[in-house]
Amino acid sequence: MTTKETCIESFDAVLEERGVSRRRFLQFCGALAVTLGLSEAMVPSIHEALAESVIGKADGNLMPVIWLELASCTGCTESLASAETPDVATIVLELLSLNYAETLSAGAGFSLEEAKEQTIEHGGYIVVVEGALMEGWNGNALKIANEKAVDIVRHCASNAAAIVCAGSCSVDGGWQAAVPNPGGATGIQAFLERSKADGSFTHDIPPIINIPSCPSNPEHIIAVLVDVLLIGRFPDLNQYGMPSAMFDQYVHDNCPRRGHFENGEFVYQFGSVEEAKGFCLYPMGCKGPQTKNNCPIVRWNRRVSWCVEAGAPCAGCATANPLKSGRNWVDTNAPFLKRFRSITIADIPFQPMVIGWGVTGVVAALIVIHGIGMKATGRTKGGADFEAERKWDKKHPDKALGPSVKALEASKKNAKPKAKAEKVEAEVASEETQEGGDE
Amino acid sequence: MAHLAHYRQAHPLPFVITHWINLVSMILLILTGFYIHFPLFSGFMGVARGAHLFFAFVLVINMVFRVIAAFFVKSAPDGGTRKLDYDFKGFLPQKDNRHQFGAWIAYYLFFKKEHPLGGKYGVPQKLTYVAIPLLILLIAFTGFSLWAPTSVVGPFAAFNALVGSMMVTRIIHFFFMFVFIIFMLIHVYLANIEGLAPSKMMFAWKEHGGLVYDPELHNIVGEDDLED
Repeated sequence: MTTKETCIESFDAVLEERGVSRRRFLQFCGALAVTLGLSEAMVPSIHEALAESVIGKADGNLMPVIWLELASCTGCTESLASAETPDVATIVLELLSLNYAETLSAGAGFSLEEAKEQTIEHGGYIVVVEGALMEGWNGNALKIANEKAVDIVRHCASNAAAIVCAGSCSVDGGWQAAVPNPGGATGIQAFLERSKADGSFTHDIPPIINIPSCPSNPEHIIAVLVDVLLIGRFPDLNQYGMPSAMFDQYVHDNCPRRGHFENGEFVYQFGSVEEAKGFCLYPMGCKGPQTKNNCPIVRWNRRVSWCVEAGAPCAGCATANPLKSGRNWVDTNAPFLKRFRSITIADIPFQPMVIGWGVTGVVAALIVIHGIGMKATGRTKGGADFEAERKWDKKHPDKALGPSVKALEASKKNAKPKAKAEKVEAEVASEETQEGGDE
Repeated sequence: MAHLAHYRQAHPLPFVITHWINLVSMILLILTGFYIHFPLFSGFMGVARGAHLFFAFVLVINMVFRVIAAFFVKSAPDGGTRKLDYDFKGFLPQKDNRHQFGAWIAYYLFFKKEHPLGGKYGVPQKLTYVAIPLLILLIAFTGFSLWAPTSVVGPFAAFNALVGSMMVTRIIHFFFMFVFIIFMLIHVYLANIEGLAPSKMMFAWKEHGGLVYDPELHNIVGEDDLED
């Protein structure tokens, strides 16, 4: 066994071999701590944990991972794997034993499927799911190695230590679940809960960590893996099973263009002077104010930049509801360059603004027509004459409210024209007592 | 003249003031709301959001005050009389309006020539006015579900989760605004189509002569031209 000091020493040697300075690696650990919502004081622990695991690799003590590639564009893998130079983050990946990954594994075919089987049999592995699960056509919408993906997912989940859903597709179906969704794209959590309910999945559902956005941010995946594997801490999850540290604040809250928003300095057209000045993209349909993600802090492509910083309005790709694939980010946010989503009535998409003003316009037109009617019937000068007696009262004289019209008319006759109201009332009252009540 | 007389007792001063506050805050909320939805011109977002939030609180507090005051302030339960009763009774079913819902609808649709007898408010009018505080609560609730600091608080976060996302909440909030716009159109139209006397009363607290109604007899008993 290696001691802590020799472990870190030999880890630093590994870093040096890869052309990564110790200083740069500590910076990386600091960034990870921020992503995880940990304090800077945790940086030495992260450093230590990483060192121990990478060196522990020599002892064959790695966390096995099954990376399932379902209906996806491989963007999440690309996002994670496409490091131009040997990158500090890739070192973290080296502490995983990627036993099965269609895109990255050197092996293929039977031997790879066999490796997956052995991993599942052994247990204690992590399943990373990329892409949506297709349930359509009795599960035939997606088959891998002649096996239905629905069966593969149930099988892989049966003995797993945890499931990490990387990217919006595996969280709730993502854009593949967008209307009309003929292939029946769905998220993993919803699928497993349904399978559990209908008895087709009899094991306990392993803990699921949902990491939405399209593609999933590699910083998020690495941070969660470090959290679970090394620090041994299951991240705090919000009500959607997403890590709170990443998905509990709006993009808008931390946006570098937020100052322009408050000042009312906006881009109204691409290619304009305002765009060149880097003004706020709100009128261009930016969904930052209603999308929860920490993109402005973590950024993308190894913290180089991110959508809004690069000049594109946020499309709200982290919008996801793991249990309702109909609330995927595309159906929720499209059209991306409009402030509102469209509402589809009889297959025709309408913007809510059109519906609102349409209904208001109809009401206004009806009012005008009604006004013409009021003018024609002579009601505009003080209204129509009052009815002498309520219609219902007239039909039901025994249950009527007031005095009969006859009694009233008698009282009116007695009242002098333009008399004070009190006087009239007094007269009616006196008449009432004389007659012993009106019926 | 077919008007009932408009006496100050129908709309005591506190309610003339709350009506003014409603008018100003609703119009400013609608204007700033449109700006927040899409800023048609530059330079106004901070002010628009601040004003929108401020008048949202004004509208809600004013509504709560108005509802509570209805139980303490007395007003005339019928038009054309100075007799007083607790204001809230004018919003509940009254004897004066009994069996009159159909009559009002028929009158509005020109199927009935004569103006129906009723309380201070006709039946459809009364139903609408009772709905307004509820609508204010609902639109305020959706509004707080959108304002970042409150959107993460229990019931507001739960509402966003219930309807799907903040995008849906935004659209509901937006359609609620049109409910208010349509209410205002109909309200202004019906209040003034038979003469401007109701507006003079509501805005300038100016009395106007007309027919006299007796709340005891539930019918019109004379006329008062307010001349002497």
